[in-house]
Amino acid sequence: MSYPSTRTGYALGAITLLFFGLTALLLSNSWGHPPARQQIALVDKAFLEKTPWRQTYADLVQAKEDMSDFDCYGCHDKKKPPVLRFDAHSILIVPEEHKNIVMGHGSHNRNNLCYNCHNEGNLETFQVRDGHELKFADSTQLCGSCHGPNYRDWEAGAHGRINGYWNTTLGEAKKLACANCHNPHAPRIPTRNPAPGPHALRTPITAAHSPATTH
Amino acid sequence: MSSPEPTLHSDQPATGSTDRRSFLRSTAAFAGLSALAASLAPLRELKDFSSSEEFLQKYYKELSPEEMKKVLLRITDEVEHQYGIRPHVRDLKPMDGVEFVYALNLTRCIGCRKCVHACVAENNQSRSPEIQYIRVLKMPHGSMDVEKGNHLYDDKEVPDKGFFYMPVQCQQCKNPPCVKVCPVNATWQEKDGITVIDYDWCIGCRYCEAACPYWARRFNFTKPEIPADRLNPEMAYLGNRPRKQGVMEKCHFCIQRTRVGKYPACLEVCPVGARKFGNILDPESEISYILRTKRVFIQLKEEMGTSPRFFYYFDK
Repeated sequence: MSYPSTRTGYALGAITLLFFGLTALLLSNSWGHPPARQQIALVDKAFLEKTPWRQTYADLVQAKEDMSDFDCYGCHDKKKPPVLRFDAHSILIVPEEHKNIVMGHGSHNRNNLCYNCHNEGNLETFQVRDGHELKFADSTQLCGSCHGPNYRDWEAGAHGRINGYWNTTLGEAKKLACANCHNPHAPRIPTRNPAPGPHALRTPITAAHSPATTH
Repeated sequence: MSSPEPTLHSDQPATGSTDRRSFLRSTAAFAGLSALAASLAPLRELKDFSSSEEFLQKYYKELSPEEMKKVLLRITDEVEHQYGIRPHVRDLKPMDGVEFVYALNLTRCIGCRKCVHACVAENNQSRSPEIQYIRVLKMPHGSMDVEKGNHLYDDKEVPDKGFFYMPVQCQQCKNPPCVKVCPVNATWQEKDGITVIDYDWCIGCRYCEAACPYWARRFNFTKPEIPADRLNPEMAYLGNRPRKQGVMEKCHFCIQRTRVGKYPACLEVCPVGARKFGNILDPESEISYILRTKRVFIQLKEEMGTSPRFFYYFDK
């Protein structure tokens, strides 16, 4: 049994020290921490909102809201139907008192005549194209008198929103009316700010990374 | 640093009680043990060991009603322990005579991504890192090539002129490739058409993620993070109960809602009514009407033979 040479002893000692050093580094976890992840902000709760953005006349009545806007004869005279005025391009001039109304029904101002829907004989009702009166609460039938295919789809549940239960034996299915989503004076759904898109797990996404189709 | 060295040389010849060999042997053994300890050091950061009950839990389809009750109680306790909210966890079974089908109206969708976030809120997805089941593709007009779609659009206003929007989520295929590849049967198709995952049975191999042609499956690479005030306490075992790190998840048509007769969360929040859902076996349902009368033009990647239960259609 022979002792290793002194040189070998030094080498073994150095290796031992190296091991101790590595152990110390490993235990102190000097390089073990992964890079910090990007913390993703919670989405604005407004994007989770389920209530429709408009209320119909029927909704307002049900919610017992202030209905003074619908009291036409508070200002108008029952015997004198208001006269429509037009500018030089034959475009309807919305009177000062109703300037909150922006007209935009149909492209090229095709349907911007008040009495296409409102009843000049009784301002607190609608009139359908064939002349018969409709209550404010029955506005879907008014829309349906022109928009036949959409009305048919809406009745079948294929157009528009239905909330609640698909199985009506277990709960109520609440079908929204036309005016819950469409402004009758300007029915096109306005553009809006979209909710935030997906984040990548590590690299933050910049506009430079997204494909050319963004714009 | 240098203290062990002198002892190596000065002590040995003098005492003779510790020869060089035994010293080296013990030093090597100590170093080896230290290295072992160091290699196990990451275990110190491991908290929340899964319970032995969870470890010994049987396969979902083999659980008796009594055992299921115990499992649901365990999940309820775990969620309460973690989030401080006592949830209502149920095991909802498919209804008889019901097969769910989804239809999405591409004419109407405006790309507002409300469905994406309503889904996250309903189904207790991790917020950071983020897991989302729905991707809304912004597609140029005149093409149905999903390769041209961009899901990272960050426009100020939507819809953008010249584009349409196509939300993609789990298609609940009739012939699901993800189910075929699962080596442990942790995912399967239920009789109402929903492909579900048992999060307690999943081993996290991600084969299903690779097999899915729709990029519908998501993997929990890290521990999911959900703020307690955003937790949805209405939970289902195969649905939105909180997941753990290392398991797959995906859209399940909001099992916790649809199996009690409600519409899924993405449909509820859609501001334009582009999303339609219902029972295809009921000829009176709106979904039957749509498939019968509308221009249903696509099952996404029809040529894959997956036969999705998710249809895209146009209005006019």
